[in-house]
Order: sequence, then C-alpha cells, then structure tokens
Amino acid sequence: MSAPVTVYEPFRAGLPPLGSYLRSLWARRSFISEFSRSELREQHYGSVFGQLWLVLNPLLLSGVYFLLIYIIGGQSDATRYGHLTASLFLFYLISNSLTGGVKSITAGQRLILNTAFPRVMLPISASVIALFKFIPTLFIFFIMRTFLGLEYSWNMFWAIPVLLIALLMGLGMAILISCINVYFRDIASFLPYMTRSLLYLSPILYQASDLTGELKRFEIVNPIFYLLDAWSQVMVYAQAPDLFSLAHALIWALAIFFIGTYFFLSRERDFAVRL
Amino acid sequence: MQNVGLTYKTSVVKRPTLKARLKTIGRSNKHTRVVNALNSVNLDVHYGTVLGVIGSNGAGKSSLMRVISGIVPPTQGRIEVHGSVSTLLALGVGFNPSMTGRANVYLGGLAAGMSRAEIDSQFDAIAEFSELGDAIDAPMRTYSSGMYARLAFSVAATVQPDILIVDEALSTGDAHFKEKSLNRIKELRTADRALILVSHAMATIEDVCNEVAWLHKGKLMARGNPAEIIKQYREFMQVGKSAAANEDV
Repeated sequence: MSAPVTVYEPFRAGLPPLGSYLRSLWARRSFISEFSRSELREQHYGSVFGQLWLVLNPLLLSGVYFLLIYIIGGQSDATRYGHLTASLFLFYLISNSLTGGVKSITAGQRLILNTAFPRVMLPISASVIALFKFIPTLFIFFIMRTFLGLEYSWNMFWAIPVLLIALLMGLGMAILISCINVYFRDIASFLPYMTRSLLYLSPILYQASDLTGELKRFEIVNPIFYLLDAWSQVMVYAQAPDLFSLAHALIWALAIFFIGTYFFLSRERDFAVRL
Repeated sequence: MQNVGLTYKTSVVKRPTLKARLKTIGRSNKHTRVVNALNSVNLDVHYGTVLGVIGSNGAGKSSLMRVISGIVPPTQGRIEVHGSVSTLLALGVGFNPSMTGRANVYLGGLAAGMSRAEIDSQFDAIAEFSELGDAIDAPMRTYSSGMYARLAFSVAATVQPDILIVDEALSTGDAHFKEKSLNRIKELRTADRALILVSHAMATIEDVCNEVAWLHKGKLMARGNPAEIIKQYREFMQVGKSAAANEDV
C-alpha cells in the first residue's frame, strides 16, 4: 500500500519523529498566519479604531513617557527618551509573546480535542501576533528618533540579528510557558507579576550602565538584560552592540527555545487528556 | 486497532479547593477516579468500508474516534492508520465568530488541513452548498445556530481525505439541509476511502453504512451487518422501532 502509515501507541514522554513533525508544521504555515490574523482582529473587534490600535498603542505609550520625561521631569534628554521607548517596544514584543502564549494551549481546547495537528502551532501563533503588534512600533520609533535628531549609521543594521534573537527568545518563552500552563494553571495568574518584575529588572527605565554594585552581579541571570542593552546601543546610539551582549542574549534565547521546545514536544500528545 | 484501551483520570473532589487538596497530601484517599473509556477494542476498517459506530451515551464512541485520529494517544494497544485522516468531530473547529463567513471558510479549511489553493478552488462550491447567499460576507456572530452549522458542515465536507471520521455532525440545520448533508456523505463513499460515522440516528446508520460496530461501556459488543447489529442493540437497550428511536437511540 502506498498510503503513508501512522502508528499510534501509548504515550511516553519523548520527542515525536522530528522530520514528519516539521513537515506537518510547515504544511500548516498558512493556518498559523490566518489564525494569528484572526486572533488579532478579534482583540479589537467592535472598537471604533479597530486595527488602528496597533499604531495607537505604541503612540500613546510613547506619549505617556514623553509626558513623564519632558513635561513632568523637565528634562530634554533625547537619548534617554529614545532609549526608554525603543527598549519598551522590544520588551513588549517578548512580554506579548509570553502573555499570548501562556493560554494558547488551554484556550485552543476545542481545536486540540477535535483535530490532529502539531500543537506547537498555537504558541507559534501567539509569537506571530506579538510580532504583528511590534512591527508598527518600529515605524513609529524611526519617525520619533528622526524628530529627536538622533543620528543614523550603518551600525543600525545590527538591529536585524538583535531582533532575530528577541524573536527566538519570545517564541521559546511562549512555547515553554504554554506547556507549563497545561500542568500548572496558576502560572497564568503569576505571569503579570513576573513580566512586571522583568520590566523593572531590565535596562528600560534606566540604562544598563546605571547599575552598580551588588545588583550588577545579577544582570547575567536576566535573559533579556543584555538583549535590551544591545537593542538600545543599536537603535538609540547607532552603535554596534558588544559581542558579549549578543552572545549572552543568543545563549539565553537558544537555551530557552530548546528547553521549551523539548519539554513541549515531548508532552504535547498528553495535552488532549489534560485539557 | 489491536487491543486498544484508553483510561483517564477524572477529579472526584466535591469542592476542588486548595484546602481540600492540602488535606489529601500524604493520605491514601485519592481525589481522582480512573475512567475506562475504551477496553481492549480490536477493530479493522478497510478502504471501501462505511463503518457506523453506535452505542449509548458514554459508550466510548467519541473516545474511539479521537484515538483513531491521533488526537488522544491510547493507554494500551496499537493503532495503525494507512492514509490521511480528516475528522469531523465537531462543527466549526477553528472558526472565529468575529470574522465573516468568507474568512472562516479559509480559517476552517486551513484548520482541517486544506491548502489555500484548494480552498480557493472550492470556495464557490462551499458557499453554494451552505446556501448562505450574501450572509457569507457578514460576521459569523450575526449567524443563527443553523446558519453557523451549515457553513461549518459545508467546509468540513469539502475535505477529501483517505479516511473520514464523522461524529454526530449530520444532524445540522433543518430537514432540507440534513438530507443534503446525508447525500454529501453518501457521495464521499468510494472504494478508495474509509468512512467512519458515529451517530444515534439508526435510520441514517442503516441507510449509509455497510458495517456497524456497537460499543458499550468501552467494549466492542458486536460488529457486522447494520440491520442485525442495530436489532441486537435495540433489544439490548429495550427500545422499540419508533420514529423517535429511529432518529436517536
């Protein structure tokens, strides 16, 4: 018989055949894109501005910090304002991946219980949605930094590898946390406090160089610390990032992605029973 | 399917609170119960077969379909599937009510494993089959439950797999659409395809299927000629051949 043969046997924690899994995932790429778009539209369904909120959100966010730094703070430090908005936009790429990813499996219960497909598609969709939300912020940032008079240089092309690392990090985190949430639902309630802590522990409201003493020792355990620092160097100061910063971010991103993916793929056949 | 079994744990705690959970720590009394959804089921379905699966509520019919389609792994035994499987276990899987019917045709089709090009080429047929007219461009939130089910069935019935598994999806819409759906399922009966149909509607099963498997409490009670198995099942359930029973047993 020429038809492909699939064998289903009792679940054992372990990786599925990766070749056929990846082929199946690739075959469903259109669904990932369509599903992400529909989820994004659903989030603003019924609102007056609809999809315009994708642009309004970063605009308002930068407006709030403009108020904080320029008007209330009475400062006119363009680089500080640029650093804060650039870092915040990249931070939201990762935090949106996490918040979208955490319930991606539990919210996809109907899909999981009625269709056989690579479950990792759901946290991937959460990361794609986070990327869709991030893209308009990039345009807004570039317009803003032009108005602020920040200089441009060829070094800004370093933004591409930094962004790719950030995407890998966000995807790995979404995959890992979506899987944890299947077994430990309370993680979704802890998440807002975790992301808020991450925001304050990362060089967003302050510069990486501002940290001194004891606190400086803990930078290395924060997966996004050097990533955000590298992003700020590239996007605000138009400088090439430190190799150490890039290496630190890449190692963390790869570690989270591979651990999360291994954990997810080895457990995903058990999800339908757990939901 | 060889000796296939499926068990799962379900919570039996009356009040699932942290206090109740803490109380059970270190104690032997368990707060879960093991359910035997399927018990040593042996079954083979060949191409060209239209197998009807019957049984009372909780017999394990849906569990069996989920195990065959690879949604849930069995806890015992082995299943070998030759060919592509498409499941129609619930209608409107993957649909987004905020989107138009048109967008959901793509979303539902892609969720079912079709390619965008396949949906493009089938779109007019799907829209025509659903009989939604201009409503296809309205958000699905505005649809009646019948309209929703009609579009969902139209999308699902377009997929052309080697093995099609349909669970209680034929009782959609009004009498006219039910008949149309049934005819569509009949069209899908070909020598190079296996069809598995779960239903409580005995008349439909007898009309469409060439074999019937009867499940009861996770066990395969009998398998064979539809008329004979349905007769045995009716006797077992002590249900006569009334109009109501013909529809749902």
